[in-house]
Amino acid sequence: MSCGVVDEEEFCRCCRLLLQHSNGVGDGWSWEAVRGSDEGYLKKTLLRSVPAERSVPQKHKEPGSDSEKFDYCHLQTEEQEKQGVDASSDSLRPDAEEEDDGVCGAPAGSSSVLQFEYHILYSCSYRTPVLYFRASTLEGRSLTLEDVWRTVHPNYRLGLQSRPLDAITQQEHPFLGQAFFYLHPCRTEEFMKPLLQMARDQNRQVNYVLSWLSVVGPMVGLEVSLECLKQQQLHPTTPQQLRVPLRGSIQQPKTL
Amino acid sequence: MADDKDVLRDVWFGRIPTCFTLNPDEVTEREAEPYYLLLPRVSYLPLVTDKVKKHFLKVMRTEDVEEMWFEHEGTPLKWHYPIGVLFDFHASNTVLPWSITVHFKNFPDVDLLHCPTNSMVEAHFMSSIKEADALKHKSQVVNDMQKKDHKQLWMGLQNDKFDQFWAMNRKLMEYPTEEGGFRYIPFRIYQTTNDRPFIQRLFRPVSTEGNPHTLFDLLKEMCPDALTKDGCLQHLPCLPWTSFMSLTLNLCFSSSPPPKVESASLLG
Repeated sequence: MSCGVVDEEEFCRCCRLLLQHSNGVGDGWSWEAVRGSDEGYLKKTLLRSVPAERSVPQKHKEPGSDSEKFDYCHLQTEEQEKQGVDASSDSLRPDAEEEDDGVCGAPAGSSSVLQFEYHILYSCSYRTPVLYFRASTLEGRSLTLEDVWRTVHPNYRLGLQSRPLDAITQQEHPFLGQAFFYLHPCRTEEFMKPLLQMARDQNRQVNYVLSWLSVVGPMVGLEVSLECLKQQQLHPTTPQQLRVPLRGSIQQPKTL
Repeated sequence: MADDKDVLRDVWFGRIPTCFTLNPDEVTEREAEPYYLLLPRVSYLPLVTDKVKKHFLKVMRTEDVEEMWFEHEGTPLKWHYPIGVLFDFHASNTVLPWSITVHFKNFPDVDLLHCPTNSMVEAHFMSSIKEADALKHKSQVVNDMQKKDHKQLWMGLQNDKFDQFWAMNRKLMEYPTEEGGFRYIPFRIYQTTNDRPFIQRLFRPVSTEGNPHTLFDLLKEMCPDALTKDGCLQHLPCLPWTSFMSLTLNLCFSSSPPPKVESASLLG
């Protein structure tokens, strides 16, 4: 793992380990294989409770309305400005913290439950993982880009908006062909580089995918469980272990 | 390069005669006439269908109008694919003009991306250009270009200005002569027989022995089922596309019946 990128083989290896740790703590990840090839991706579905002001799906605005005058990135700034006061006061409420940890059953009227589906794919163009996701209400209505922006915690919104290619955009899922949202991977190398360098300086082995996920996941409501990270600490990958075939030493999930 | 310029022009100015018909289930105040248009192969549907929208909006009430989307024989058309790719994939076996049905309701948001403005098309286009350069030059060329250069590239496409576009695009098509080509060739293969939307993998322009790879080599590696048993290419994929985007591929193939439609489209 030199520079800030990862090759496909290493990506798959990291996914296997992540899966293993996830199975150990019931974190809900699974591996989806692509028919007819050795490619695949990690998948996880969860229910998120999001404050009502941030979760109400709106009917998609038709072109020609006010939204057409703005770039999508700037549109959110306008909206955020309008909601500015509410959004920041949200984060101060003790409820807000609890509501975003994926647990349902928040006080009635103050939040709603959305279903999120996250996929981790490998990009051979950028040599990094990419996070795809989609969301819908429990009634099955897909969230629009505007809806999704509203679920992003205000603390992350400004950072995401200031660099358009890091923003959340819609994209076709490379294996399923369906509409997903994704975080553009072009800057992943940039933020992973110092992270990996630091680990090397401290003589620590890192799981690239797990580390990457702990950076990008929280922006879109995907927390990496502390238990999962702890598992990595307890069973770090050492250079010696890398050479041992996984079949013999560690139980490998059947799906891989 | 001088010979190639003719090919580049032929590709750029390629057009597909199209007939747009309003979905019969749309609520109209009077009957809608079909609308005929020549669509540029290299462009994208939202960029070139303003007139189509205006035409049909004349017979509809605003409250019945939501986001416009297109469909061919029941299949929603993905606006973020170049028009030429859509036609080759969905309709190259049918008679011209290409029949497209226009919808203003029931947007299929599981299958189609939303496209509220031209900025969205620009964002997708530039994202493709950047991804292609990541493969060709490790993003060095596209990152060295200034924002105004990116803008010129986009405006050239949007406004159908060949010279304006290629003034910028030629930088993205350069490579060090000693390398013999790009780092990897950006390509996508669309197959009607495949579940996945496209095949996109790493592919070097030159073999380890130093021989230039051909289109045949690419297909043999990526979709061997498309080739006949004795190794002949069944149907020539869109030839103009291969020479339009990649100057490093030496084309070497033999054509033979029967035809099987595929389309190789090269990013950026």
